[in-house]
Amino acid sequence: MVRILYIEDDVEIGKWVAEDLTDKGYQVIWLQSGEKIEEHLESADLVILDVMLPGLDGFSIGKRIKKAKKELPILMLSARTAVEDKVEGLSFADDYLTKPFHPDELAARIEVLLRRFQKQDEQLEIQHLKIFPKEMRIVNKKTGEEILLTGKQFHLFQFFIRHLNQILTKEQLYEGVWGEPYIEGDKTLMVHIRYLREKIEEDPADPKIIETIRGIGYRVKA
Amino acid sequence: MRKLFRSLQAKYMLIILIAISLVQISFLAIAAIVAEIAETIETPSGETHPDAIEKKWHEDANALQTGSNDEINRLFAKWKEEYPEASMFWVDGQGRFAAHIGVEKSLPEEWTPAYTAKFIKERYGGDPFTVIAFIGQDETNGFLVLEIPRKMFKPPIQIVNEQFGNYLLLGMLAIIFIFIAISYLFFRSIRKRLLHLQQSMTTRDEDGLPVPAAVKKQDEVGQLEQTFNQMVKELRESKHREQEEEQLRRELIANLSHDLRTPLTKINAQIYALSKEKVSEEARRAIQAMETSIRDIDRLIENLMSYTLLMASKYKLERKAVDAVRFVRESLASWYPVFEKEKFAIEAELDSFETQHWQVDTDWFGRILDNLFQNVLRHAKSGRYLKVKTESTAHYDAFVIIDRGKGMKAGSNEKGAGIGLSIVDMMVKGMELEWDIQSSENGTTVKIMKPK
Repeated sequence: MVRILYIEDDVEIGKWVAEDLTDKGYQVIWLQSGEKIEEHLESADLVILDVMLPGLDGFSIGKRIKKAKKELPILMLSARTAVEDKVEGLSFADDYLTKPFHPDELAARIEVLLRRFQKQDEQLEIQHLKIFPKEMRIVNKKTGEEILLTGKQFHLFQFFIRHLNQILTKEQLYEGVWGEPYIEGDKTLMVHIRYLREKIEEDPADPKIIETIRGIGYRVKA
Repeated sequence: MRKLFRSLQAKYMLIILIAISLVQISFLAIAAIVAEIAETIETPSGETHPDAIEKKWHEDANALQTGSNDEINRLFAKWKEEYPEASMFWVDGQGRFAAHIGVEKSLPEEWTPAYTAKFIKERYGGDPFTVIAFIGQDETNGFLVLEIPRKMFKPPIQIVNEQFGNYLLLGMLAIIFIFIAISYLFFRSIRKRLLHLQQSMTTRDEDGLPVPAAVKKQDEVGQLEQTFNQMVKELRESKHREQEEEQLRRELIANLSHDLRTPLTKINAQIYALSKEKVSEEARRAIQAMETSIRDIDRLIENLMSYTLLMASKYKLERKAVDAVRFVRESLASWYPVFEKEKFAIEAELDSFETQHWQVDTDWFGRILDNLFQNVLRHAKSGRYLKVKTESTAHYDAFVIIDRGKGMKAGSNEKGAGIGLSIVDMMVKGMELEWDIQSSENGTTVKIMKPK
């Protein structure tokens, strides 16, 4: 079970978010200030932080957490919407959501963060594939066979899984997987996506897993 | 008095006075020097003075005992040696033209008293300088005549001129040169300081303010520098005040919007809790309407805040080279799922421009796109169509956002759209871009253009 550490001083909002996230299947520890945060850091998988808090503000707490535990994702949840605040928040936090927000958006962002930091232990099912994100194992549900990917195909697919439901442009994909700036007209990415589709799609001519969003990029939807 | 000498004006007046009196002073000084030298020059060259020669000629002539030819010739030879230019002759006791040396003119053989008198009259004070002396103690042996051309006796001033003329000329030139040098240095020092001040005025520190000038002297330029420094100080203070005010204003707006959003979030929470209950269809519609209203208020607060900051030119603008097509594509990618959820048909035709990079602020450019996409989502829902494409003409590169909504004139019930577009307008102009909006009942087309 994913454990979320939630720091919010407003009782109404805190109660509501904590209840909603509990309903969505997360284990929530809700604190009203950052005072006793150290006790809970070890067991937490993700931190949701308000900015305006009594005592230490959310920015200071967040920076402290990142210093102690780099691999712990932090989501800032604040009614402060000025660009300066967002910029300061994102200098250490992994996401910044402004109030008022829809609980479903919060849940979606939590999911993205958990995937990015590979905190989930459950498996993922996309079409006919069963994926174990932690060890990045892919099994064809229909045949029960494991699908083995070569180096670049593996990295490419892993990148898609980490950015599930997000549309990724050619530039983002190339730079994320190859680690080099994308040069307009380079066919390398297209070639690798074709190979990847041949391995994972049931019908590579009509891909269902790696969607092509014409004129924009590609997407793998859960 | 000290104050007077610090003044450039006083210095300048002094130089002018010197300039006016320089010629006179130089003449006076040189005249004095020449006179002094002339005085001293007579003593060593006493032998050449006419008086001395006359005296000596008399002495030598008187010293002769016999008046014999030999004795006289010896005397002549001795004098000729001493004064090569001189000519001498002897008229003896009988009035005959006797021994002579260096005489070129024809003189009579017989000297009558009349001729002698005429000769003396002619020569008195004339040229050549003539001395007539009797031989021995009496007049019986006749007289000796010494002639020396007058030109041999140079006036002292001429001697001085010959000997020291060059020095005098040099001295004169030196005085003029020193004067020019002093005026030049005087002017150069003023010029240098003025240039230094000008440099201080054009140099900017990291705050974009001029740097204070170093004040070295208390004259007029020094006072100017002090005044300039005072101005810089005031400018700095006013800038500081302005920054503080800006900070305060920003803080106030941020806090205000925070305080507005917090209750909004609470309402949102209550509505969400309600929506989880089993309620009638009518109540569900009411809940949905409330959710929409909350989102609208939220957006209005955001826009109002940006608009206030933009109007006061307090919205930070940091332009840098951004791959524009890529930026728009990524922005569209993030909006895609929202449009997809609303069942929009989305077309993207984003081709590279010739100049790939635009000088924009990513926050501003992102905000422009967000506002435009949001408008499509809210006001052009009926068209269920969004197209984003690039367009290049000879005059501009542009992004075109096309929808098939009912157009702006149709009058969406939300009047807040105006403020969103005002923000777009200010931000587009702030980044030296242009934009154009065309709306009909068949849809709206927005162009964001970068002039070539």
